[in-house]
Amino acid sequence: MTNAVRGRPRWGAVARKTGGHLVRGLVMVWVVATISFVIIREIPGNPVLGQYESLIQKGMSPEQAERATAVLYGFLPTGSLWQQYLGYMGSLLHLDLGRSLSTPGVEVTTLIGSAARWTVLPVLAGTLLSFLLGVTMGVYAAIKRSGKLGDMLALSGSLLHGVPVYVIGLLLTAIFATLWPILPSGGPVDVEFVPGLNPGYLGSLLQHAVLPVVTYTLASYGGWILAMKSNVVAVLGDDFILAAELRGLKRGIVFRYLARNAILPLFTILALSIGMLFGGSIFIEEIFNYPGLGLLLVNSITSRDYALMGGTFLVITIGIVVANIVADLLYTAIDPRVRSGGAA
Amino acid sequence: MTVIINPEGVADPQASPARTTRATLRRNFWRGVWRVLRRKPSRMAGVVIIVLFALMGIAGPLLYPDNLPRDDNALYAPPSLAHPFGTDFEGTDVLALVVTGARYVLLTGLATAAITVAVGTAIGLFAGFRRGRWDTVLMRLTDMNLAIPGLPLLLVLSTVWKFEGPLEMGLVLGLLGWGGIARAVRSQTLSLRERGFIEAARGLGLPTRHIIGRELLPGMAPYIAMNMLIAVTGAVYAQVGLFFLGVLPFESNNWGVMLNLAVFNGGALTTPAALPYLLAPLLAILLLTLGIVLIVDAMDEIFNPRLREE
Amino acid sequence: MTPTTVTAPGVRIRDLTVVYKTPAGELPAVSGVNLSLEPGTITGVVGESGSGKSTLALSLLNAVQPPGRIAAGSVEIDGLGDVLTLGGEDLRRARGRQVGYVFQAAQNSLNPLKTIGKQLLDLGRSHDVEDLRGLVRDAKELLARMGMDGARVLDSHQHELSGGMRQRVGIMLALVLNAKVVVLDEPTTALDMITQATILRIIREVHDERSLTTLVITHDVGAIAEVADSLAVMYGGRVVEHGEVTEVLGAPRHPYTQGLIRAIPRLSGDISEARALPGRPPTLGTLPAAGCVFRERCERRMAVCETDEPIPVFRDGRTVACHAVDHPLALVKRKEFA
Repeated sequence: MTNAVRGRPRWGAVARKTGGHLVRGLVMVWVVATISFVIIREIPGNPVLGQYESLIQKGMSPEQAERATAVLYGFLPTGSLWQQYLGYMGSLLHLDLGRSLSTPGVEVTTLIGSAARWTVLPVLAGTLLSFLLGVTMGVYAAIKRSGKLGDMLALSGSLLHGVPVYVIGLLLTAIFATLWPILPSGGPVDVEFVPGLNPGYLGSLLQHAVLPVVTYTLASYGGWILAMKSNVVAVLGDDFILAAELRGLKRGIVFRYLARNAILPLFTILALSIGMLFGGSIFIEEIFNYPGLGLLLVNSITSRDYALMGGTFLVITIGIVVANIVADLLYTAIDPRVRSGGAA
Repeated sequence: MTVIINPEGVADPQASPARTTRATLRRNFWRGVWRVLRRKPSRMAGVVIIVLFALMGIAGPLLYPDNLPRDDNALYAPPSLAHPFGTDFEGTDVLALVVTGARYVLLTGLATAAITVAVGTAIGLFAGFRRGRWDTVLMRLTDMNLAIPGLPLLLVLSTVWKFEGPLEMGLVLGLLGWGGIARAVRSQTLSLRERGFIEAARGLGLPTRHIIGRELLPGMAPYIAMNMLIAVTGAVYAQVGLFFLGVLPFESNNWGVMLNLAVFNGGALTTPAALPYLLAPLLAILLLTLGIVLIVDAMDEIFNPRLREE
Repeated sequence: MTPTTVTAPGVRIRDLTVVYKTPAGELPAVSGVNLSLEPGTITGVVGESGSGKSTLALSLLNAVQPPGRIAAGSVEIDGLGDVLTLGGEDLRRARGRQVGYVFQAAQNSLNPLKTIGKQLLDLGRSHDVEDLRGLVRDAKELLARMGMDGARVLDSHQHELSGGMRQRVGIMLALVLNAKVVVLDEPTTALDMITQATILRIIREVHDERSLTTLVITHDVGAIAEVADSLAVMYGGRVVEHGEVTEVLGAPRHPYTQGLIRAIPRLSGDISEARALPGRPPTLGTLPAAGCVFRERCERRMAVCETDEPIPVFRDGRTVACHAVDHPLALVKRKEFA
């Protein structure tokens, strides 16, 4: 404890912890990659071999067909399980996820890259919006917890937290796109506008983003308000809040003490949920026909584009692994107790 | 929400001769349940809703003929007295579809919850009880289980596994979802161990089975029960979602299939005609959620003395 | 710091009643307490847990926490008026500035996320201190007096300090604004014996030096004997005996005080002479509605105790609330305490 008295970060400990996370994360990516490999190989009808055979039937030489198939899936269609597995892992190390079948010739990484844009921005907006809203209302729900209003807020939080995201999405669409059509129900943008920085295109982008973003906001709002409420209630019971009042601190300062202590644990969850955003948006993108990663994954499955499926799954996992590490670093950075290695 | 397990809930090691006290405890417990339910009428509503759904799952399919009648003259009929939620693309009554579809959905939920709780509790208890190397390995496994993105994994799995029938579906969902309970049960076990419960029981010469069955599990039962309820809803959502996304073959009628057909075949998102067909299963899911949220809220207050005092 | 010539303020608590809302209705935790803190003295309040002493302490700052509520009475502080009529900003300004409060379990009275120095500045800004540098200087001086490295403490977070250090930081924060009335609620519980002694010594020193009026709440009779000038004994929400500390401890008159002192094992005596008070301290729910609150555990109970609550009687510099004390039979002197 002696070298931490000044609250100096113990960078050695931090580095060791981060290293541990990194190793665990890599193990996880490896596990997921292996799952993808096994699944692609075990899919009924063996699509890899099927592709290879159909190419030969089309008149390719076995070598050509083999190479073409390998480009597609990242591993050779023939050879032992181990050769195939090592080949797959080898190409992963070169960041080669193979090529898409449904969009012939295009690399999987390219497709994922362009889909990621459509996922990241709306979901990021939704996450931040729900965080701000949920945290604010959480404080309110905690302070008014014995009143009707607090009860209502908590119940609405539990409900929104409990209801699956597709129910919210479908209800919102049913209301705002079908019954009372004021918002577009699908697609990322109207086709009539020329892409670029022109007001028409941007306006259309925004208009199409409203329902997905609102859906995401409502879906995650419940979790935030519940978490913030219980944190605020816990901190309100802490002695230091009463002590601060008894020292005559200004209300604003006491409130800041309260809010900062209550919100701190939420930042890690925020980092984690930003990591989840790649996978968490599948239903929203399906409902609103929004061309992000989730839709890409579902479409790759329905169109039997297995290289694309494996690649998307892997990228979604990597997002979560990275978020885990960021969350841990963030916690270290903002909580003095963790920073100095004290077990407070 | 954190759940504090009441240490008094753990049975006294020497309580076996005192059957009567246990009976009184039980009576007091039910009286407490009744009081908590009565304090907020909404909780009674929760119980009523869940009982209704259970009845629907058990008796629902018996109310209707095996093949629901179709009416070619009334495709997508608007709501009426005969069809409170209108009809679907074949002219079948939507309410009948919801009621008969409930069994599949709820059965999956129950199967999932049973497996989640069994696997999660077993792993958590074992890890917390054995500690050491077993603990490390099992907790790494649990971390992995928690960190792997569930829905994408389910989607990917659906390409090789068709999840035939509600029980098989429940098996898959259960095997993917035990992480949370395992971790919680482990930390409970560890904290009871730290408080000397296990050592004390060992000292009294009680066999391991008794320690786990009589000392550890009763204290955790409320927590496990709440998680079980939450697991039921999770499974219902995941399963309905998978059918909605259309990655599973439609083998029988259920809420997810209804959603999928309403949205992607009926165009419920563009024309109001198919809207009741879409809204009926949504309403069912909402009601189920509401019921479970209300019951979990009540359970929280029954088992969490800290909340009770407020 | 310049030694002040301002005389210490007196504090007069009159007919104070504090009730707590429970499922069984509003029950009194403090009922009809009269207590005067003479200017420049240290008054100790002892009592078992549940005797209402912490509630009494909080009343001095009009800070009784819900579900509690001050139902009646007044707390007059010289230069401040009746604290119980203050509210809003006036009350906030009085807290910390005029009345310093060292919190029960002061180990947890600090914001875990901020350094002590930043919390000190928050305190200064809340009370519109112009000279923040001077405030920091005063704080360092106080901390140094209590045997700590001021600069280092101000630069630390709460978790980097030991229990005794946090307690001293709590005392520093209560004194640094030059409050003339200081309330210490259980300032030494959860501390080891040596730290306890140090803290009590510091309290006494600072009290004398700054001519404060101090109230110390504790359940530790031994600790209070060393610092206090006068002592009030609380039972069941009432002050049952109040007087000079040496007299109250040396010749206790109320049966409860007598029992309390008999329960202390003495270094010089036989341990078997220490006898615990029979029965249990009352809780809010078990307090009798009429009669003397102590009668259930009292060895000198009389018929009148069942029906009438004893009125505190002031005699020979001592206030005692007991029917038996005025009764001739009760004048059997207990020699061993004289």
